[in-house]
Amino acid sequence: MIRTNRVSKSFGGIKAVDDVSITFYDKRINGLIGPNGAGKTTLFNIINGFLKPDEGEVYLNDLRIDNLLPYQIAQLGLGRMFQDTRVLGKMTALENVMLAAKNQIGENPLNVFFKYRRMQWEERQIKEEAKRWLEFVGLQDKIYTNAESLSYGQQKLLTLARLLAGKNEVLLLDEPTAGVDPGFIPVILNLLKNLVKEGKTIILIEHNMTAVLEVCDWVFFMDEGKIVSFGLPSEVLGHPEVREAYLGL
Amino acid sequence: MIALGFSVIYNTSKVFHFAHGAVYTFAGYTFYTFARLLKLHWLPSILFAILLTILLGMAIENFIYYPLFKKKSSLMVGVISSLGIYIVIINFIAMLFGNETKILRPGVEKAYEIGTVILTRIQILEFLVFVILSFFTVYLLKFTQYGQALRALADNSNLASVLGLSLKKLRLISFGYGSFLCGVASILVALDVGMDPQVGITAVLNGAVAVILGGVGIFESAILGGLAIGVVQNLAVWQISARWESAITFLILLFILIFRPQGILGKRRRLEEL
Amino acid sequence: MNYLLHILIMCAIYLILALSLNLLIGFTGLLSITHAAFYGIGAYISTLLMVKMGFNFFLTIPLAILGSMIFAVIVALPSLRLKGDYFLLSTLAFQVIVFSILYNWIALTRGPYGIPGIPKPKIFGFEFGEIPVYFILAVVIAFLIFLIFKQLYFSPFGRVLKSIREDEIVANALGKDPTKFKIEAFIIGGGLAAIAGSLYASYVTYIDPTSFTLDESVFILSIIIIGGTGNLKGPLIGTIIMLFLPEILRFLRIPDTIAANMRQIIYGALLVILMRLRPQGILGEYRFE
Repeated sequence: MIRTNRVSKSFGGIKAVDDVSITFYDKRINGLIGPNGAGKTTLFNIINGFLKPDEGEVYLNDLRIDNLLPYQIAQLGLGRMFQDTRVLGKMTALENVMLAAKNQIGENPLNVFFKYRRMQWEERQIKEEAKRWLEFVGLQDKIYTNAESLSYGQQKLLTLARLLAGKNEVLLLDEPTAGVDPGFIPVILNLLKNLVKEGKTIILIEHNMTAVLEVCDWVFFMDEGKIVSFGLPSEVLGHPEVREAYLGL
Repeated sequence: MIALGFSVIYNTSKVFHFAHGAVYTFAGYTFYTFARLLKLHWLPSILFAILLTILLGMAIENFIYYPLFKKKSSLMVGVISSLGIYIVIINFIAMLFGNETKILRPGVEKAYEIGTVILTRIQILEFLVFVILSFFTVYLLKFTQYGQALRALADNSNLASVLGLSLKKLRLISFGYGSFLCGVASILVALDVGMDPQVGITAVLNGAVAVILGGVGIFESAILGGLAIGVVQNLAVWQISARWESAITFLILLFILIFRPQGILGKRRRLEEL
Repeated sequence: MNYLLHILIMCAIYLILALSLNLLIGFTGLLSITHAAFYGIGAYISTLLMVKMGFNFFLTIPLAILGSMIFAVIVALPSLRLKGDYFLLSTLAFQVIVFSILYNWIALTRGPYGIPGIPKPKIFGFEFGEIPVYFILAVVIAFLIFLIFKQLYFSPFGRVLKSIREDEIVANALGKDPTKFKIEAFIIGGGLAAIAGSLYASYVTYIDPTSFTLDESVFILSIIIIGGTGNLKGPLIGTIIMLFLPEILRFLRIPDTIAANMRQIIYGALLVILMRLRPQGILGEYRFE
């Protein structure tokens, strides 16, 4: 369960996140919506550990995580998809996904030599799993392509595969449908629903309201750093203030 | 006292953080142009030398750094390129003039005693020039249009270009002026202690330390930094032994980098991750 | 023939240096110019142990590596806290300081006078004295190191290093501790460079600090920049080019007086041109961009 308690963050006088206390629905799809600049990505960064809140705390299953380093938080099973895809350009798609496996034996240089056989075995496992996820998102033909050569939509899929391979319990997804081939969006949405059935907790930042309506169990609306309203998607999106904030989007 | 001269140089060139390599070459080059002094009478040769130095500095910026900058290359690329250019130029010089130290004014210099310190005429001149140029530079930066533009650029390059200042021109100017200061310093030093193809690198490194010590991001701080370095170096030489001079300089650098990376007067820079 | 072997022995030595620096620069993206210091520390530890305490060459190698690794930690801890330019400066500072110590601590290292009379390696009574024999030794050692790096480059460890080089934030998001990995890269890269030092010392039987200057660091850097970073072929081709180039110049009958400078000019020019047109080096994989 992920929750924040009175989290605030300012950048040189501008309060990007203002006293935000959210408890995200466990094992459900939570939507975080709001106009650009509302502070959604900043909130994600704080939860992820890339920014430290000026005030307030973040908890993962009653463990305080805002004072941890990003990699530690990731190790705890919190995965992040970034708004700019951030694929590792000069590495192949396969390598990108293989990296996601946690606690690989071969990551310890000594083990590379002293636990050679076990490392080899584990490498094979990781490779197979990576291939499976890549196939799942439809990138099986691009396994050996350098990530920077993929189209934007394909890179998005790659980051998705990367997240899945990481076996994370909580997924923070920043605009997962942006730039994706419209025909494939339902596939992603379906995937998200299935993941929740497997017990994952998902938090989405999305501007695609159709997607939000279809897939989110609960929605938080954020504007100018504050949570303005929350509830069922249909309720929140029907709210006059929300409509107003979205005019011109 | 020598370090003082260099600090004035590097504060301008460092605007774009390419100083590492760029300046290596400047200092080295001034050696070169200055060697012409041997052939001509002193005043015109100084002027020519300085002119050429400025041109070289601007040429390097124009042909090497700027294209990389436009390609948005990383810092590493810039540094490596500057190293490359430095190597090329220094070796040209060495090829043409030989590797030994050249003394430019044979014989003993007239010296004056000031208190307990003995200074030669040249060193007094160095000091005077330093003071004059320091004030001059500060004045330029504070009160002229270009000076202010440079300051804006140092602060935030994107913003400055939006305001309609030509990035290319400003960079050229900064390199030009920086080279000018560099040339002056180099000539003075050469007159004082002679020179060899290796002076460039020591000069630059000292200068870099001075800038960091004084505080990156604020031009004037380099003056302070240079003074500090000069003092410390000489104190160290006096107390310990000349051999350890560079080690001490770099220990200071490490100290600063670890404990107070913004230097004495520098602005605190916060680096947010994303 | 002996002369050719001589060059190849130096190739072996520099290959070790290139491969180890590649781990730092090509794989992890840490532009470091402390490498000559690692080289020198390895050489001096080996030498001092052999000359002053009569150790066997092969015994000094692990100790030289250990000494170098300790130094690597000392350099890494403060330097890794700095970004970009400042990191480079920090590594530069360490390089200069080490050189200064080697040069000035006469009691220990005899400073500029150097240490002569370094014995050749001996094992089971057999001495690697003659050049052809030393050549075999050098090649075998270099080859072993090559295999070690091959393993490392293609291991998960290498993969994580690459990810840190590409995008440290993503590495973090995937649960990898960048600082830990960077320190490990330093320790391995720096530590193994020491082997080159030991090989060198016994080969030339006399060392002094002038072989381990900042210029030397820059030279090793040039090898991998020109040859290419981020893979195995780059350092290999780089070493070959950089070491055979002077010979080619000699072949073209360029007088010795300007040959040295000429050579440097070519190196420098290559650096600039490559950065502009082909930042990944001749056969490298990673483009500095």
